[in-house]
Amino acid sequence: MTAQIELKNIEKHYGSFHALKNVSLTIDKGSFVALVGPSGCGKSTLLRSIAGLETISSGELSIAGKTMTGVPPRHRDIAMVFQSYALYPHMTVEENLTYSLRLHGVGKAEAKAKAAEVAQTTGLGQLLPRYPRQLSGGQRQRVAMGRAIIRNPKAFLFDEPLSNLDAALRVQMRKEIRALHDRLGATSVYVTHDQIEAMTMADWVVVMRDGIIEQQGRPLDLYDHPVNRFVAGFIGSPAMNFIEGKIASDGRAVNLVGGERIPLARQAEPNQPVVAGLRPEHMKLATGTPTFHFPVGNVESTGSATYLTSADGHLQLVQSERSTVSVGDRVGVEIDPALIHLFDPQSGKRI
Amino acid sequence: MKHHRIRVSEFGWGEGAFSSSLKRRLLHPKCFAIRLLPQREGWSAARLGGLMQRFLSGLRDGVGFDILLISIAMLFLIAMAGLPLVYNVLMSFQQVDMFTLGSFIRPFAGIQNYIDVVRQPEFWLVTRNTAVFVFFSMAGQFVLGFALALFFAQKFPGAATIRGLFLVSWVMPGLVVGAIWSWILAGDFGVLNAILKSLGIIQSNIFWKSDPSVSIWAVIIANIWLGLAFNMLLLSVGLAGISRDLYEAAELDGANAFQRFWTITLPMMRSTIGAVLSLGLIGTLQQFDLFPAITEGGPANTSTVAQYWSWQMSFQLYDFAKGATISVMMLVLVLFASIIYVRSTRHEVRG
Repeated sequence: MTAQIELKNIEKHYGSFHALKNVSLTIDKGSFVALVGPSGCGKSTLLRSIAGLETISSGELSIAGKTMTGVPPRHRDIAMVFQSYALYPHMTVEENLTYSLRLHGVGKAEAKAKAAEVAQTTGLGQLLPRYPRQLSGGQRQRVAMGRAIIRNPKAFLFDEPLSNLDAALRVQMRKEIRALHDRLGATSVYVTHDQIEAMTMADWVVVMRDGIIEQQGRPLDLYDHPVNRFVAGFIGSPAMNFIEGKIASDGRAVNLVGGERIPLARQAEPNQPVVAGLRPEHMKLATGTPTFHFPVGNVESTGSATYLTSADGHLQLVQSERSTVSVGDRVGVEIDPALIHLFDPQSGKRI
Repeated sequence: MKHHRIRVSEFGWGEGAFSSSLKRRLLHPKCFAIRLLPQREGWSAARLGGLMQRFLSGLRDGVGFDILLISIAMLFLIAMAGLPLVYNVLMSFQQVDMFTLGSFIRPFAGIQNYIDVVRQPEFWLVTRNTAVFVFFSMAGQFVLGFALALFFAQKFPGAATIRGLFLVSWVMPGLVVGAIWSWILAGDFGVLNAILKSLGIIQSNIFWKSDPSVSIWAVIIANIWLGLAFNMLLLSVGLAGISRDLYEAAELDGANAFQRFWTITLPMMRSTIGAVLSLGLIGTLQQFDLFPAITEGGPANTSTVAQYWSWQMSFQLYDFAKGATISVMMLVLVLFASIIYVRSTRHEVRG
């Protein structure tokens, strides 16, 4: 695998605001990388820096081996799909698709043929003579994608492209974008605040917060081995539960504030305060001896799963069986000791 | 249903005044129109009071209030603009002299006034002056206004404030602007000549106001300055309405600054440009104040334009018929511009 986009020690300042802090990232050719994080974490700034729409304050950015410092966006040969789609409202779908070709002096007939081909790929066949205002949200999304793929760029950049669609369409477009990526053998960078989008679409997930890359890796590695409490809480839905406690004197369990203890699969340094991270889907209603108990404050059933929330709202448990538990019950919970994460209460780092 | 019942009692009719079947019919929503019709029987005092109340309640919460608001504006327009206009058109087809000035019915002249106006020795000179004045005023105002609008659309400190200061020219009365420009353009002590001479553009003074070959340009220069801010403001609003995403998308599609202006800005500004040009035409044909202040149409009518000529005919030569005829000719021109304006605003393309 060769690197298609390489970022080295990227810094970005907006006045006194430090938007990107020493960001280094390698994006392999043909990979689908998701940049994910809460609002204001710098993921969009990073994407726009790759596009050249923002100038980086320092650091080195190269695309396909060429340094991009001072290269304007139009010479970077990358395509971007905007959150607003940014379709040209005064042009038909066909004109939108062929805009870049026409700018590059491609002949009319060739551009028309190319547009028809792209329309076929993206399912826009009948819509070529229409104007963007005559299209639905999903169709506009497809035009934006078509406009990106028509000129076969070095990389595709997606800036939260699905956030203006309704939930059902979003799930469908997720699959279509990924399928398109695979078919074209493209390199894609995808910005989203939705960790499910990141997990399901990407080969490589980059979690950002406050301008820093907190962790990057394959989706399931991030899920299984989050390096800190932030990543642990951000990846996975519903979010991981955090319980404060203290390692027992033998180092083999976490003593909870209420007096109960959660056994550990490994030896930890005794007597240190910790935060235990338990994923809701790893906790089970105890059939044998429960590990610990909590009073139920809320029961939500979706049919396929039941969500139990503790009375104080801090703990959540998901089970796929139908439940007879009702609000006010005190339930016993068991968990596989190997699935327990431990974090330092101060630094939040994984122990 | 409840709503209608309340209405009936509000109208002041006793419930018992109706037969029950009539009441049912009247209370039916589809019979609303019937209820608003006056009763066929004689006018009793109670019924008159009811009508009064119905009228008042219509004013308070019905369509009546809207009609009241519109009718005030309509009355004003008819009295202050409509009637004088009709009177003016009428006068252009009549024989008018000092003795029939006060009467409304005068001998019909057919198109004799129009023939007379065209046969005036200065007619073609004035027509040419008007065309030159309108075309170059509009071109100057539009091109410079657009350039300034584009300049202030860039983000630099103080852009909005400095743009605001430009509006001063628009706020100032035409006569004052004319007086100031009259000084600037003065042949022997004017500041414009001094600047042009010190830059080496001209060797000897240009007598802007009294040289027949440039006198119309003296007024055009002043008029461009006067209308510049208005053009800039409207075009700025149009520019601000174009989403930044579009420019970024075009940039990534490979468009350079000139191509972005040509393929995005201009087509997106179509309706704004149409409006600015039509309003510019109307404003330029209305421009009167500058002429008495700068050249008084001279020397030898070389800076007389239609609107000034019309005024001279009516209020200096007291030939009201010719004055009216000239203004009707101009009216046709303005009407034409208005149609273009209305049509251009109909073609709004904003996605």
